[in-house]
Amino acid sequence: MKKLGVLILSLVFLCSFALTGCAKNNAGAGGIVKVGTDAAYPPFEKQEGDGKLTGFDIELMNAIAKAGGFEVDIQHAGWDPMLDAVKNGKLDAGISAISITDDRKKVYDFSDPYFDAKQLILVPANSNVQSLKDLKGKRIGVQTGTTGEIVVQKAFGKTYQGIKGYDDTPAAIDDLANGRVDAVVADNGVVLEYLKKLPAGKFKKVEDQSFEPEQYGIIVKKGNKELLKKINDGLKKIRENGTYKKIYEKYFGPMQ
Amino acid sequence: MPIDWSVIVEYKAYFIRGLWTTIELTTVAVLVGLVIGLILGLMRLSRSRWLVIPAQVYVDIFRGTPLLLQILAVHFAVIPTICEEWLGVKPPEAIVSGFVALSLNAGAYIAEIFRGGIQSIEKGQMEAARSLGMTYGQAMRHVILPQAFKRMLPPLGNEFIALLKDSSLVTIISVNDITYAAFTTAKNTFERWAPYITSAAMYFVLTFVLSRFVLFLENRYRTDRQEG
Repeated sequence: MKKLGVLILSLVFLCSFALTGCAKNNAGAGGIVKVGTDAAYPPFEKQEGDGKLTGFDIELMNAIAKAGGFEVDIQHAGWDPMLDAVKNGKLDAGISAISITDDRKKVYDFSDPYFDAKQLILVPANSNVQSLKDLKGKRIGVQTGTTGEIVVQKAFGKTYQGIKGYDDTPAAIDDLANGRVDAVVADNGVVLEYLKKLPAGKFKKVEDQSFEPEQYGIIVKKGNKELLKKINDGLKKIRENGTYKKIYEKYFGPMQ
Repeated sequence: MPIDWSVIVEYKAYFIRGLWTTIELTTVAVLVGLVIGLILGLMRLSRSRWLVIPAQVYVDIFRGTPLLLQILAVHFAVIPTICEEWLGVKPPEAIVSGFVALSLNAGAYIAEIFRGGIQSIEKGQMEAARSLGMTYGQAMRHVILPQAFKRMLPPLGNEFIALLKDSSLVTIISVNDITYAAFTTAKNTFERWAPYITSAAMYFVLTFVLSRFVLFLENRYRTDRQEG
């Protein structure tokens, strides 16, 4: 009998744990918009030593909220948890250099685009690679789950043996420096930022005209038109009043 | 939420490749780990301090730090330094880092299993063997190790199963193992249940086969059957 009691007691504990987990799901309370990000993608978002979130996306999101007349609470969630949490409503929105793709559009609603991105090929300075095609048969480092990976999969097949997927772009670039991969395909913003830290003249970037231009958008839960409108209104306002330009130039230099 | 199994079909090449990579990684780590473990285990039992202390330090370091960090350190720091700065060659593929890190780690745990197994054999066995005129080496090989082996089997089986599952950590350095297949599928398709369940099932089948094999060995070498 005693054993049964212990069993029931532990079950009760387990259930209550599970329930507290569920209780946290009710987002949107108090009118503050909860925004998630993966703060490991400078210069778009990163976490300072004191835990503060900074970066282009963070400043932009705050400016959008101010202009759109709502309050935001931006928190670091990590890429996959962020996508999951926005999908099931734990977070109201996500901003994390998320490229707008058709596949993602099936799962999320996107704001108006707020940044033009493109893929870059990074190779050692002495490489003779001039386009994506030249990478055939070579080992290519990408960040798993990013458009960089998708571009390579499209060019050489989904199960191309040479694709090396990393958890983050800097790890792929480290292995490029080590000679373990022959090239890295990744978003221009991040590659250019990371290049600043590497010895000059060791790498060069290759632009391939066949890369489709990409745009970043803010994701919200499918069907949350109300929030989407607020975000788009804010974005429009800061584009018009020059705030967008100011933030852009702080991170990427003069706007063309 | 319905589970969309079609993504597994779409990404099946990753899972098949991952299965072989995981088997390969674990097999190499077990074999090399056994050799490292046997050497270190015997070093630990020796009377010379010059053998005991290095072995102890090795075991402490590899057992006392996370395998994930060992994998990252081997891949991004140790191997590139040795290859580029000392040997002047390009570092090998990520899978080699996986072999090295897992083998070194397994060696530390296996060393302790060997030591424990050998120390559990009563002192009288060695004394008896030596009094029969055997050398220390002969006594070890013919009397102590066969007995110790039986006692080491269950913990060794444990270690192999743990190693098989821990090999999933090499996915962080872009080794295409089972976990890599699951992560790639999940990240590209936004489907989580199907890839995670599939990879878990693959690990389960592998560990199940391995545990049955160890049980088979245990039964074969059971003392009561042989001597009874």
